[in-house]
Amino acid sequence: MYVDPTLVPPTLADALRERAKRAHRGFTFVRSDASERYMSYPDILKEAERRGAALYARGAKKGDRVALVIPDGDEFVLTFLGAAISGLVPVPIYPQLSFKNVEGYHDTVAHIVSAAGAQLLVTTETTAPFVEPVKARAAGLREIVVASSFADQPHERVDVKVEPGDLGFLQFTSGSTSKPKGVAVTHGNLAWNSQCFIQQGLGRDDTDVGVSWLPLFHDMGLIGFLIGPVFTDIQVVFIPTANFVRAPRVWLEALSRHRGTITYAPNFAYALVTKRVKDRDVAELDLSCVRHAGCGAEPIQARTLREFADRLAPTGFRPEAFLPSYGMAEATLAISFGDRRGMGEKARGLRTDVVVQKALEAGEATAAAPGSEGSQEIVNCGRAFPHHEMRVVKPGTFEALADRQIGEILFRGPSMCNGYFQDAEKTAESFKDGWLHTGDLGYLVDGEVFICGRSKDLIIIRGRNFYPGDIEWAVSELPRIRRGNVVAFGHEVNGDEQLFLCAEAFQSDAAGLIEEITQLVNEQFSLNVHHVELVPQGALPRTSSGKPQRRKAKEMFVQGAFAKMRNKGATEAAT
Amino acid sequence: MSSPNRAELLQMFRTTASEIVEKEFASIEEATKITELGIDSLGMLEIIGSLERQLKIQIPDESLAGLTTVRDLIEAVEKRFKVQS
Repeated sequence: MYVDPTLVPPTLADALRERAKRAHRGFTFVRSDASERYMSYPDILKEAERRGAALYARGAKKGDRVALVIPDGDEFVLTFLGAAISGLVPVPIYPQLSFKNVEGYHDTVAHIVSAAGAQLLVTTETTAPFVEPVKARAAGLREIVVASSFADQPHERVDVKVEPGDLGFLQFTSGSTSKPKGVAVTHGNLAWNSQCFIQQGLGRDDTDVGVSWLPLFHDMGLIGFLIGPVFTDIQVVFIPTANFVRAPRVWLEALSRHRGTITYAPNFAYALVTKRVKDRDVAELDLSCVRHAGCGAEPIQARTLREFADRLAPTGFRPEAFLPSYGMAEATLAISFGDRRGMGEKARGLRTDVVVQKALEAGEATAAAPGSEGSQEIVNCGRAFPHHEMRVVKPGTFEALADRQIGEILFRGPSMCNGYFQDAEKTAESFKDGWLHTGDLGYLVDGEVFICGRSKDLIIIRGRNFYPGDIEWAVSELPRIRRGNVVAFGHEVNGDEQLFLCAEAFQSDAAGLIEEITQLVNEQFSLNVHHVELVPQGALPRTSSGKPQRRKAKEMFVQGAFAKMRNKGATEAAT
Repeated sequence: MSSPNRAELLQMFRTTASEIVEKEFASIEEATKITELGIDSLGMLEIIGSLERQLKIQIPDESLAGLTTVRDLIEAVEKRFKVQS
């Protein structure tokens, strides 16, 4: 039985209309040239209604999907909200990253547009030429609409009732080998999850200001900083993602200048800041305002967060602000927060569990003394939100495991989506008997969850379990290897699974480097490396966010694609 | 700041790329394709950000889309010099 959440309005449409009753809060959009545009909630509602009406004027009807390829924050937010509050279903798609394979991009966009059954695609003038070729490849796509054309639409409001069970938007997730799948997210899911992570997770208060450079076509930026804040009445400052990557200090400057209290980023971003920020910047910033510095969307390394806190200590940044989080698109966004607490309770920041590395191999997380030899630190991602449950089971079964036994994490509650849009087969694989099978391996201790890795990537050698991320992390510590340029996977050799590593490096270093890698893995994991393949720079396949794709890399290796590159290189060198 | 010539810009790109990506890029030429550098898109943006700071210019996002070779990037930088100086 579906019940509405009690602390937030039941749909995004109700939420935005509620917000627009008062003009004291709104969104600030930083542009790529660093200028800012502020819009109050009433202005946002008015413009969103106009855009919704403009889409209906172009033939859209309630429930129709509308693809969005919009790099600019304000244009994206206004069009997304306009569609969603008018009963349409926006489908955010990432804008083309420069320097990428253009053909592959068009294929992905065409796939998403077709899978969503979108007849309209909204883009901007500058982006239009990059999506134009998609029209020929996506059969159902009727029209590409340029957002600036909405300016011609007179202000009117489409009179459509939006219900909690209606689709709010489709979140396409970039599977590592498979084509992206569209998670069907309802307004009810969005309301519940917003209540969970902002009211109960962050303990929202009236002084909160969110600051985000996260992409808006991805759940952490979209729900975390656009949808959640509309449900819960929070001010937000949006920075273009590219501005942050070009100059990471813009994130810290915006936090300092706008007195930001809530921000979020994946692990890599904290590492990037630590590496790039200058002493002069540190001296000028005041980050004592930050209450929550969330970390999610990829494996969290305790060391990265500690280094960030040390580097930024002079700014008044408090390490208690760290908030490790666990979630996924199929659960709307958030599943658990590392430090969920009641109002007025003291923040605890980063908390970790130290376990015996050897025991992990046997599927047990046995506690070890911090810093002891052969131990490994795992970040605490906290407990499920009220009305939601997490369970750890023996993979492939519903058999619950005891605390500290590693198994597959299951999740259920009103934030759980119903499945993938018009894809019964994929839905049946992950959504079973009312539970979301996350595909993540981890363990519980007193209801708090610790994530070990993806079950599909697990390497099992002679009954010992290894998480490729752990091995890759260790290998990338070598001076000649760059983080993110190593892939570890298991592959069967004469009936036994063996460890294989592919790393990007120069062939001139080959012999010595292979020896170094083999020795390091041997020392740290007491594990024999069956084969190290050094591949040319840029050879490892990557996702749209730049992470190496393990399964694809394994496939390329098995098909001999890397060996071919190596032989080609050798021939060229000889001639 | 007087406008650097193309050879200087290429050298600056090599040095900056090596600093940021922590690999050696001595053999890069203007004709090298960006996809062959083994630098992901985040890395490329970091490099561009650093070039912007060193040269005190700003390259608009639009002129980054569609860059294929190192030459394209160098030309985009040169163009900004002409506009901004």
